[in-house]
Amino acid sequence: MRFVSFRPAAGVLATTALLLIATAPSQAQTRAETLRYVTGASVNTLDPNIPGSTRESFALSMSTYDRLVAFGRKQLNGKWVFDLDTITGELAESYDVSPDGLKITFRLRKDAKFQDGSPVTAEDVKWSLDRCVTAPILGKAQLLTGSLTSADQFKVIDPLTIEVTLPKPDKLALPNLATVYPMIINSKVAKEHATADDPWATAWLKEHTAGSGAYVVETFKPGEQVMLKRDEAWNRGSANKPAFFKRVIIQSVPEPATRANLVERGDADIVVDLQASDVQSLEAKGKLKVISTPQYNAITFVSMNNQMPPFDNVNVRRAIAYALPYDDMFKAALFGRGSPLFGATWADGKPANGIYPFQQPVKLDLDKAREYLKAAGLPEGFSTTFSFNVGQASTAEPMAALVKESLGKIGIKVDIQKLPDAQMSTQINEKKLPFYTEGIVAWLPSTDYFYRNFYTGNQRWNYSSINNPDLAAIAQEARFEPDKAKYEEAGRKLNAMHFDLMPQVMLWQPNQDAVMASSVEGYTYEFHRQVDYRDVSRK
Amino acid sequence: MKTGLGATMVRAGRRLLSSLPALFGVLVFTFLLMRVLPGDPAVFFASGPNAGKEEIELIRKQMGLDKSVPEQLVFYLSDIGRGNLGRSMMTGQPVLKDLRERLPASLELTFTALLIALIAAVPLGVVAALRPGSAVDHGVRLFCALGVCVPTFVSGLLLIYVFYYLLGLAPDPTGRIDVFTSLPPSRTGFLSIDFLLAGDFEGWWAACKQLILPAVSMALFVIAPLARITRASMLVSLGSDFVRTARSVGLSWHKVVVTYALRNAILPVITIAGIVFSTMLGANVLVEKVFSWPGVASYALDALLSSDYAPVQGFVLLMAGIFVLVNLIVDVCYGIADPRVSIE
Repeated sequence: MRFVSFRPAAGVLATTALLLIATAPSQAQTRAETLRYVTGASVNTLDPNIPGSTRESFALSMSTYDRLVAFGRKQLNGKWVFDLDTITGELAESYDVSPDGLKITFRLRKDAKFQDGSPVTAEDVKWSLDRCVTAPILGKAQLLTGSLTSADQFKVIDPLTIEVTLPKPDKLALPNLATVYPMIINSKVAKEHATADDPWATAWLKEHTAGSGAYVVETFKPGEQVMLKRDEAWNRGSANKPAFFKRVIIQSVPEPATRANLVERGDADIVVDLQASDVQSLEAKGKLKVISTPQYNAITFVSMNNQMPPFDNVNVRRAIAYALPYDDMFKAALFGRGSPLFGATWADGKPANGIYPFQQPVKLDLDKAREYLKAAGLPEGFSTTFSFNVGQASTAEPMAALVKESLGKIGIKVDIQKLPDAQMSTQINEKKLPFYTEGIVAWLPSTDYFYRNFYTGNQRWNYSSINNPDLAAIAQEARFEPDKAKYEEAGRKLNAMHFDLMPQVMLWQPNQDAVMASSVEGYTYEFHRQVDYRDVSRK
Repeated sequence: MKTGLGATMVRAGRRLLSSLPALFGVLVFTFLLMRVLPGDPAVFFASGPNAGKEEIELIRKQMGLDKSVPEQLVFYLSDIGRGNLGRSMMTGQPVLKDLRERLPASLELTFTALLIALIAAVPLGVVAALRPGSAVDHGVRLFCALGVCVPTFVSGLLLIYVFYYLLGLAPDPTGRIDVFTSLPPSRTGFLSIDFLLAGDFEGWWAACKQLILPAVSMALFVIAPLARITRASMLVSLGSDFVRTARSVGLSWHKVVVTYALRNAILPVITIAGIVFSTMLGANVLVEKVFSWPGVASYALDALLSSDYAPVQGFVLLMAGIFVLVNLIVDVCYGIADPRVSIE
């Protein structure tokens, strides 16, 4: 007998091999003018104001819409980052703040046009800002932090001038107008699609754009990819010329190892969400450009519920702060890629400055931790759970194991609990978790903003559920403090209280590792922690 | 007694009717299960840097979660009745639209993988059965064991590493088509067919190249059951009287093995292939993730992790519907192949 039946099998192999051969590089010419950005997340709406919109949607809207003003950029340790203190005009040619700080007048660029060719007028600006503070959308809560709450505050002076009135001189009013939400929409187009139920056209704008931004949306496949085409008439960039790349492709690639392969092979140009281990090996190979910026507006915590025993006892919280194996955690979770918020030395026992986040003078010291436990009346330790969410497992899992091991040495028995993301956020919101790790980010990182949003009130972002009237009062007062020295003093006070009360333990600020082809230039770390496609160009 | 075909049709209709209560049960069960699961989707989706109570309430209202569970169920059922599966918070699109776009991707991948698996498994099984206990038989057994032991995401990553990263032969593993290729007008949703209908052979080639690696990594996993079944039923068939008779009258090797033995042995293989197909369609989530394949399984998994109710419910309903359909087709085929099945 002979094996005739081998034939089909061999045939399959041959066809497979044939099919795999030769990928045609026919698009070489346009490739250089195209930016291909790959990400693990996806764009889910063209209007970032829609509740539930993703960070990728935020980044996209920066390129499809303009705002009145934009953040400048500065160098931090040799890397470009956004600069909260430099606000430049985007659609506004210039702006004036009145001496009492209650009025901001914006003069619009005369040459600014929407993507359909119609001019940008003060009417459009008013409609867009009204929408932001009136419609049930995300912009409302954001603009509130800058004392912008009502449509009455926006007044059209003439077709190219708009005036914003504030109830108090709020230093966050202007920066707020540079954030993602208060984008300027072509009101004529949007109104055509408004309905009685939906006067602000939220449903239509979710799937369509009507802006004046640098890029026009060519195709939008939610969860898969977005293709952008350059608007040749756009000139709001620094050099009065359109954005560099003719096309931008934003593509969802869920598997981090595949993203690393793509950028290493040169098929993708830039990626910001690789695993720390991949970044390290790509950096070591030296073929690609790796720009690591500490996310200076983000913090990773180990949080304790200050209202729940035993963590309602300050000595227990201090014991935890001295029992965490910081250095090992930092290495295991992030491969040391970030800036630590532990291990400071305060010469006179006082904070070095009034800036939050700051490095606390805590380090692994088990004897000290045992003393604090004794002072808390729990010399034998106790049992608790330590939770983290599945989405952060790659960093939080090794961390949790180290926490468990180290706390075990002082008699605290820790059960590790890994929760699906939605479940974790629900439990945090309901204040049911005793001990867990989480991260925060603030778009407008000022000391009072951090303390007001993350350390006061019975609300979700107050992870530690701390309820200290003194701290809340100082933070609230600092918000409207015009005097820089007094503001600094308030910051120092708050930081000293933080160390004393130890509501939660700040661990570090993880790096944003942007990995890009060596030809890509101009990458800037932005407040929304994504790539602003207008920043980058190719050599 | 009615004619064969008529009886089969009546049977099929009866089967379809009797599956409706099961479908309804699946519907209600999934609905309740999603609500019982801990995790509030509103809190999860209200995760902008300033989202507070107000935003959470807003989303809750948008998703209809501000009403009581029985009320929600009534609304849900009446929506389903009107063909509305709800809206996904994750993609911001109606679930029906998402599923309609993604199902062909999953089907195309699963069909191709099954085809590759069958083309490889049947000859392997036959070869093993022809020489039981020989080196060839052991070789096939080893190959099958390896295929089953290596999880699909591992074989997927390995294939990517070798064919894309090291050799550069395969295109980048990012979905169904190279981002630079323009899509054909969508007729069937199956890219390989749409490109052919549009007469765009270059595009067809590009789509096929994207399909090969994920299909092969899926196929590797299911070759084992198919090959083992082929071998077992070939052994039975080769040892039977009619094969012995065929050999004794001096028929050619080809005629004995292929025409008589294999044709009789193939029936159980087809049954298993049906089961394998159903399982693959729901379980290929890892392959879809690794190859960024925009299919229904990875869609459902993402939705489940973020407690996005509507897509999960829609997905389960779709899968239940497909199972009912596949069973129905198998049933009808049986009836046609073997008229005795129809007699009740």
